[in-house]
Amino acid sequence: MVLTFSQGFLISILSLAVLASGFSEDSPTDRRVLVLLDDFAIKSSHSLFFKSLETRGFDLDFKLADDPKLALQRYGTYLYDAAILFSPTTERFGGSIDAASILNFVDSGHDLILAADASSSELIREIAVECGVDFDEDPAGLVVDHTSYAVSEEDGDHTLIASDDFIKSDVILGSKKIEAPVLFKGIGHTVNTANSLVVKVLSASSAAYSADPNAVLSNSPTLIGSSISLVSVVQARNNARILISGSLSMFSNRFLRSSIQKAGSTTKYEKSGNEQFLTELSRWVFHERGHLKALNVKHHKVGEVEEPSMYRIKDDVEYSVEVYEWSGTSWEPYVADDLQLQFYMMSPYVLKTMSTDQKGLYHTSIKVPDVYGVFQFKVEYQKLGYSTISLSKQIPVRPFRHNEYERFIPAAFPYYGASFAMMGGFFVFTLSYLYTK
Amino acid sequence: MGRSTTAKEAEALVQSLRSAYSATPTNLKIIDFYIAFAVVTALIQVVYMAIVGSFPFNSFLSGLLSCVGTAVLAVCLRIQVNKENKEFKDLPPERAFADFVLCNLVLHLVIMNFLG
Repeated sequence: MVLTFSQGFLISILSLAVLASGFSEDSPTDRRVLVLLDDFAIKSSHSLFFKSLETRGFDLDFKLADDPKLALQRYGTYLYDAAILFSPTTERFGGSIDAASILNFVDSGHDLILAADASSSELIREIAVECGVDFDEDPAGLVVDHTSYAVSEEDGDHTLIASDDFIKSDVILGSKKIEAPVLFKGIGHTVNTANSLVVKVLSASSAAYSADPNAVLSNSPTLIGSSISLVSVVQARNNARILISGSLSMFSNRFLRSSIQKAGSTTKYEKSGNEQFLTELSRWVFHERGHLKALNVKHHKVGEVEEPSMYRIKDDVEYSVEVYEWSGTSWEPYVADDLQLQFYMMSPYVLKTMSTDQKGLYHTSIKVPDVYGVFQFKVEYQKLGYSTISLSKQIPVRPFRHNEYERFIPAAFPYYGASFAMMGGFFVFTLSYLYTK
Repeated sequence: MGRSTTAKEAEALVQSLRSAYSATPTNLKIIDFYIAFAVVTALIQVVYMAIVGSFPFNSFLSGLLSCVGTAVLAVCLRIQVNKENKEFKDLPPERAFADFVLCNLVLHLVIMNFLG
């Protein structure tokens, strides 16, 4: 069919509009995702998880991990907005991808989902270490739990774990409670508690340990108890989010559809919590929840509208900022009661919690302290599961001008009084001296 | 025994001072009263500063100096006007008084400027 010129023009204009809305810089939801697999059987055995991503609008690009034509970027721009590495046994990626390029990909603000499993390679462990997560060094080690395993028909070695030790965060895991435990079979890792960027999302129970189930334990295992993390997330300082899981089979169709009964409990759930857990977690990782942006920082003296270039000590100042949260489709006003403003010079002189009008506007009024120098209006907001807000606006503060002091100092009134009394006394004295005989 | 004699001596001393003082001329008594007024005002200011602190120090100095300067000028006037003073026998008292007035004007001008 041959299109007329006007029809073709119209179509190209419309398609341009569609393309523009999909890739606008303001919308942080990633679209193009590179999925690296060990072999294409994973694509079908994990199809439920991939389909849940695709229905949310992600374009998944499945590639074998050692495909020689792999490339994350071409001519300096990245070809993908996020990456999923479901290739635990790959020793070396093909093409131009290696551990360093994956880490650069994350450093430039892109998200990552990394799944390790039993017998994962050094490469995957190395990437995980750089992200802040230490897998068990024993290559044959699996997480074993003799009290929290999932009851199954065969008398297993208790490496199939039913875990419900979730992190308490509505942002990361959604507001709906995950009723059924999550099935897990794989390796465990630890996170450094001093690292504030890594968070354990699914921890093992306190009876778990990481060891080779087929070998006799000669000495006590290094990873034990609830310090073992099964699934962790990392939110980097540039707000890129990384999901690291010790089990690839946790994402599989078999686990997603399976019923689950935790050892020691009588409740048998028809469906494991895996699907809800992973869907909500992937929503968080791909910025559909908990992604904040702060706009429109305004400050001015009380009673004025313009922003001055300098404040004076003991001025009254009003500060306002708008904060929005990305809901997956649009920017919604962010409502919280713990956003704080600092008036900072080497240390905060004023620290005040801002009040909100429930529509995303946060405002407060402060009094400039009795110190002069160059201050900053700082908003540093780091809440679990939310992207960090780090705003800073510099403003100088000057002391009083010579004619801005109070004209008459109340503490000096006696001295004023004494001087005038002396003048009056002099006048009275002259009169009395001259006019007495 | 010793105490009563010293007390009696002190009392006699005070009496003689009083009787001698009542013999001074009236104009000198007026000047003395003026000097006492200035000194008392100065003392009040010093006590006030000791309590409250010397925050506007310039105001304190100005107030104190006005009292002290007034007292000093009045003392000079008294010396020059006192007829028993042989040194200023040839100085007309009107001249002394005129000097006194002019110096006071200068003093108060300076005080007003330094008061702040």
